[in-house]
Amino acid sequence: MADEPGASPMDAPDQPRIGVDEWVASVEGKREGYEGLTGRLQRMWDTLPVGGRLLVFAVPAAIFPLVTTEGNVFRYGLITLIYALLALGLNVVVGFAGLLDLGYIAFFGFGAYMYGILASGHSGHHWPAEFAIPVVILAGAALGLLLGLPSRRLLGDYLAIVTLFFGQAFVVFVNNANRINFPFVGHVDLTGGANGLDNIDPLDLFGWKVTSTREYYFFTLGAFVLVMMLLYFVNESRTGRAWRALREDPLAAEVMSMPVNRLKLLAFVFGAATAAFAGTIYGAVQTGAFPGDFDVGLLITIYAIVILGGAGSLAGIVVGAIVVNGVPELLRDPNQAEWVFYVAVAVVLFARLRPWPRLAGVVAGTIGLGFALHAIADAAWPRLTDGKSGGEGALAHAVESWVLLPSRPTQIANFAFVILIGALLALTLLKDVWRTVALVPTVYLAVFVWENLLIQQTAGATRFILLGALLVVLMNARPQGLFGTARVEIV
Amino acid sequence: MAKLLELRGVDKSFGGLTVISELDLHVNEGEIVSVIGPNGAGKTTLFNLITGVYRPDGGDILLGDESLLGLEPHEVTNRGVARTFQTLRLFLNMTVRENVMAVQYGKTRATVVESMFRLPRARREEQEIRRRAEEKLGFFGQRLVGYRWDQPAYSLSYANRRRLEIARAMATEPRILLLDEPAAGMNPAETHEITQLIGKLREDGGYTILVIEHDMHVVEGISDRVIALDHGVKIAEGSFDAVATDPRVVEAYLGLRKAETK
Amino acid sequence: MNWGLFWDLTVSGVTLGSVYALIALGYSMVYGILKLLNFAHGDVYMIGAFVGYFALQGLGGALHPSAAAWIVVTLMFIAGMLGGGMLGVVIERFAYRPLRNAPRIAPLISALGVSFFLQNSALLLFGASFRDYGTFDLIGAKTYHFGNVYLSVPQVLTIVSSLALMVVLTVLVARTRIGKAMRATSFDREAASMMGIDVDRVIASTFFIGSALAGAAGVMFGLVFGQIYHFMGFLAGLKGFTAAVIGGIGSIPGAMLGGLLVGLAESYATGYLPQGSTFQNLYVFALLILIILIRPSGILGKADVKKV
Repeated sequence: MADEPGASPMDAPDQPRIGVDEWVASVEGKREGYEGLTGRLQRMWDTLPVGGRLLVFAVPAAIFPLVTTEGNVFRYGLITLIYALLALGLNVVVGFAGLLDLGYIAFFGFGAYMYGILASGHSGHHWPAEFAIPVVILAGAALGLLLGLPSRRLLGDYLAIVTLFFGQAFVVFVNNANRINFPFVGHVDLTGGANGLDNIDPLDLFGWKVTSTREYYFFTLGAFVLVMMLLYFVNESRTGRAWRALREDPLAAEVMSMPVNRLKLLAFVFGAATAAFAGTIYGAVQTGAFPGDFDVGLLITIYAIVILGGAGSLAGIVVGAIVVNGVPELLRDPNQAEWVFYVAVAVVLFARLRPWPRLAGVVAGTIGLGFALHAIADAAWPRLTDGKSGGEGALAHAVESWVLLPSRPTQIANFAFVILIGALLALTLLKDVWRTVALVPTVYLAVFVWENLLIQQTAGATRFILLGALLVVLMNARPQGLFGTARVEIV
Repeated sequence: MAKLLELRGVDKSFGGLTVISELDLHVNEGEIVSVIGPNGAGKTTLFNLITGVYRPDGGDILLGDESLLGLEPHEVTNRGVARTFQTLRLFLNMTVRENVMAVQYGKTRATVVESMFRLPRARREEQEIRRRAEEKLGFFGQRLVGYRWDQPAYSLSYANRRRLEIARAMATEPRILLLDEPAAGMNPAETHEITQLIGKLREDGGYTILVIEHDMHVVEGISDRVIALDHGVKIAEGSFDAVATDPRVVEAYLGLRKAETK
Repeated sequence: MNWGLFWDLTVSGVTLGSVYALIALGYSMVYGILKLLNFAHGDVYMIGAFVGYFALQGLGGALHPSAAAWIVVTLMFIAGMLGGGMLGVVIERFAYRPLRNAPRIAPLISALGVSFFLQNSALLLFGASFRDYGTFDLIGAKTYHFGNVYLSVPQVLTIVSSLALMVVLTVLVARTRIGKAMRATSFDREAASMMGIDVDRVIASTFFIGSALAGAAGVMFGLVFGQIYHFMGFLAGLKGFTAAVIGGIGSIPGAMLGGLLVGLAESYATGYLPQGSTFQNLYVFALLILIILIRPSGILGKADVKKV
């Protein structure tokens, strides 16, 4: 396994070789090479001190409640913040220590339930938040320790499977923990079972009762900024450096005086504590904890936030949370959903297709193909064009003249969906002109599937299909996410 | 002179294949000892045994009077053994300075909570870590000058990566440095420089050094004593001239049959 | 002791265990060759079950099959295995191959994405309701019994055919060229490719075989338990993986043994342990933790040597 001196990670002979002078020059050149508006922004961002970067996010977030009065938007902002807080913790586990923790949501749920047990009408205890929050955080950390401690082996690949199983076991447990008979104590209804633990108290912090959504918003924003600062300090300390070192090369880290297993466990426990804290806020906001809230769907959502933002990048988390939590929110309204889809297609085409005549050709070709197919179908099989778009608004109206909308679309759209996946995969294998040519029917097919199938399920399956696909595409195309810096790997 | 590092009858085999057999070896305080031998002689395994990456099947490894057996690699490092890797295992995506700062983990004590809230001890240690990192990097003078310190390690040239590996090993404040082929893949000028550097490490840095090296010019230039290994067995030991002309060493390297060399 | 209950639990445990063992084999083979936890494997099993279901519908349905029952069942198996196998190859080609030299965690996250994508695509395409294989209509409700031991036809079918598949697999890996290439590749991928083995093809074949076994497991599950749904792959995948870990990941006999153990543990837990039918999965989880604690490399696994 000896590395060739100066070998590049890829075997391509035309690649610059790492460590050789021209390569060094190109790395330095990249910094200068940021062009145009994005380049200027990038350079500004690079020179901004850390406190300034935090303000860039915190100030708009603090102003946000003042400019909007709509309850829903507000609540959405609050949930986004909670998810961002949750993502901060996962970022330590995945981004810093490189551990795949698939039971992360269970710690979030644990926080909500634990707080519910300490302070709710359900349990009969009413602890003030200044005591309850530290207790929940410590208990979450202890649970993480208990799960991570049993074996050194657990901190490798097995961690993923054990934590995934743990997440599942947690849901089973809270679903049924209302009818357990404990020795000595007897029957205790711990979690309310499938109905959930209700009547959770609002946070009561030194006499300040947090009740309205607005108050929760500011409380969570404060908590988020605080956790982010603390994490930043940890990141710049001996522990943070050791985490990054062991992500780079665990063996070298171990030989260089870092107790790798203990550090991994520490990151894992750290994540668990953060998740439990976020869970406390979530439980108080919802005034209840329900088993269904802590499922795999949320796990994928939080992973998508961390990966999209760029694992290891704190700033990326915020943007990741806004995108991953925001887009599905927009998808709920069929009118907005139409816009989201076509804008997204346009953005992707615009970003990937150069020069612009090629782009124009693809767009024109797609719509032209649509009109042609529509005309043929109108004449031969009118049933293919009798249906309606699942969307609403001007856009949905506009597509009716060039997208086939069968009166009973289910079956044909199902087939089209499968073919679309095949077509998209095949597209990645094609080159140059062929790819552009193949793009035309593929885009049309995508529009067809969207109008006839996906738009009907935007709140459920479609959203998660897109999240799943997002993870795969990001990992393959841009593993550093939107904000992470590209990493150099030598294998 | 007192023995700093001593191996007594160390054995190691992998699934029936004996890699190190009944090896006795010692390095005195302040000495530079070179280990030579053909590929597969067990040299790197020797380093892995000393640093605790592998557990020996038999025998004992002592640092001073203390046995290193059964210790985790990071504990061995904390006792004062530091190494470099033949294959270069830097933390590539961290800056040059961070590479040297990170390895002082074992020398510092601030807990996560202290770091999180920037309590006095954490801040004090942080300054000390930074100072020590710059001191070690400064050892390389013009070769690793200041403006490179904040660049990622992957942007370094090959020779500079070797230097950074040595700086990183020095930053763990070892009593003995194990260098695994420090001159591998270097051009003659750089090789000459490395030879001088190793000498300087002892003169100015006061380190005891055990080095694996293929390049005989380097070995000749630096060694107080040379040990030759072949198939995990020590076949010769002594001054460079004595070992280099030892028929068994020549045979091991050139693969000549016994009859012809005798 | 109620022997009737015991034997019933044993039979259903062995049946379930056979299904888990087939899933575990795919996990284990992929892990052996790529060191990758293929989270999408459970969903390949689910898709296999659906392909088998649609094959049955295509052949006239359970009530009015267009051929003799055994031909229909055979064709369902073939369809499920081909469907699963091809899906596995596609997943490998597009979601894992580009990440082969990426950091360890990248393909894992990609696998997570694939799993979620498949689950929800199935939800979108097949709906949230259960689909019924209608086994009784197809095969009849006949049971065999040996003393106290009662076995239904689908149970016999499952146990026998999974045994047969395992024998075929063992022979394939031990005797054939592709099997040798697989073993070589899992031992040292780089060296294998230098010895002229087409590593990409070997990995694709591994995925095909492993996923085809999962597809067969899906059809078996449908035949024995009747009902299939889009989320069935999640828990089954988890159990299959648990089985692979318990048996010793990377080891083929280990996967079979682990599958049987998990199936039996689950079945006995349902019958004998307090609130077993509710907490059966918790008991399996406890078993997993226990095995990792006492024998981290699994029952038949070998501790590995790290390379430096």
